[in-house]
Amino acid sequence: MTLSGYEALFFWIFGLAAIFAGLLTVMARNAVHSALFLISSLVSVAALFVLSGAEFIAGVQILVYVGGVMVLFLFVIMLVNVGAEERGRDEIFNNQRQVTASLIFCFLLVGGVLYSVNRGYQGLQARSDQPSAERIAAEQARRDQTYANSGTGSSKITRDSQNIGNSLYRYASLPFEIASVLLLVAIIGSVMLARTLKQEASADDVDPEVLKEEIARDPGLAKIEPQLD
Amino acid sequence: MLNFFSPTLALLFQEAERSRLGEMIYQTRTAAANPDLSKFLVIGALLFIIGVAGVLTRRNIIVIFMSIELILNAANLNFIAFSRYLSQTGSPNALAGQIFAVFVIVVAAAEAAIGLGIVIALYRNKETIWVDEIDLLKW
Repeated sequence: MTLSGYEALFFWIFGLAAIFAGLLTVMARNAVHSALFLISSLVSVAALFVLSGAEFIAGVQILVYVGGVMVLFLFVIMLVNVGAEERGRDEIFNNQRQVTASLIFCFLLVGGVLYSVNRGYQGLQARSDQPSAERIAAEQARRDQTYANSGTGSSKITRDSQNIGNSLYRYASLPFEIASVLLLVAIIGSVMLARTLKQEASADDVDPEVLKEEIARDPGLAKIEPQLD
Repeated sequence: MLNFFSPTLALLFQEAERSRLGEMIYQTRTAAANPDLSKFLVIGALLFIIGVAGVLTRRNIIVIFMSIELILNAANLNFIAFSRYLSQTGSPNALAGQIFAVFVIVVAAAEAAIGLGIVIALYRNKETIWVDEIDLLKW
């Protein structure tokens, strides 16, 4: 796969934007700023997905990550108190020794990963079954011919979503069902985790000893009757 | 003798240097103008390592969760890049990478929901989101 022309330009713009936004996510003092930088990093990566011809995944990335997960993050940031961090009183990083050790580790990781990417890619190119340029061009021409023209006729309509839907139900239907169970567990789990003591008491889901202690601290709790149905 | 040779040698070295440098610059320019699979992998690797650094160094548990999202996203980028590479070579299972990316996004969404539920429960009980103050299991 090789991008050229304006695709290469867009690749560098969005790739560098993703990396810089990622760096700022980690280094921003305010958690809200972190979340906003993470959103721009995710959008840049979605643009890279579009460049690689994965339009459906790019759309899912924007809808699920930016529209769902990051909004959840922003709500939680507003629920918990980050005032001290914003005013610049608190240290945002761990203690000095820990940061130094982890940065050394990260630099080693950078070296190792880049080296292995390089070696692996060279090995991939040296393989004997590497397709020739003509075969890649023929594949591209075949795809261009099978794709329908768009309304203006200036470009082709991609079949990416259709292909993904086909393979998702044909080859990955069991993982797909398991993923739905996972999401159900996540919904129930997060609702259970985020309950207040009052809600737990009204569902009769508190240890009697703990409830006794809490009632000693807050007499209002004793009035809550477990609602059993 | 030396007087005669040294400018020549210097010129030769300069020439060799220039041509090797020119070759390097030319190769870098062609590689930058035609980003291929390895460039996608490099971007993915850098995003991954930024995420790891965030997990290891930050104190705010919410930012740690965001760094984990960054790591998962870097993995997704690799999946999509390999999917594109395989589809250009006409491989029959080129879409496997995109399918896997869908599942990674599903797991990331579930992880974020559970993780943020834990953060809220933690904040309710300990009144802090700094991970170095949450040390109940530390001896």
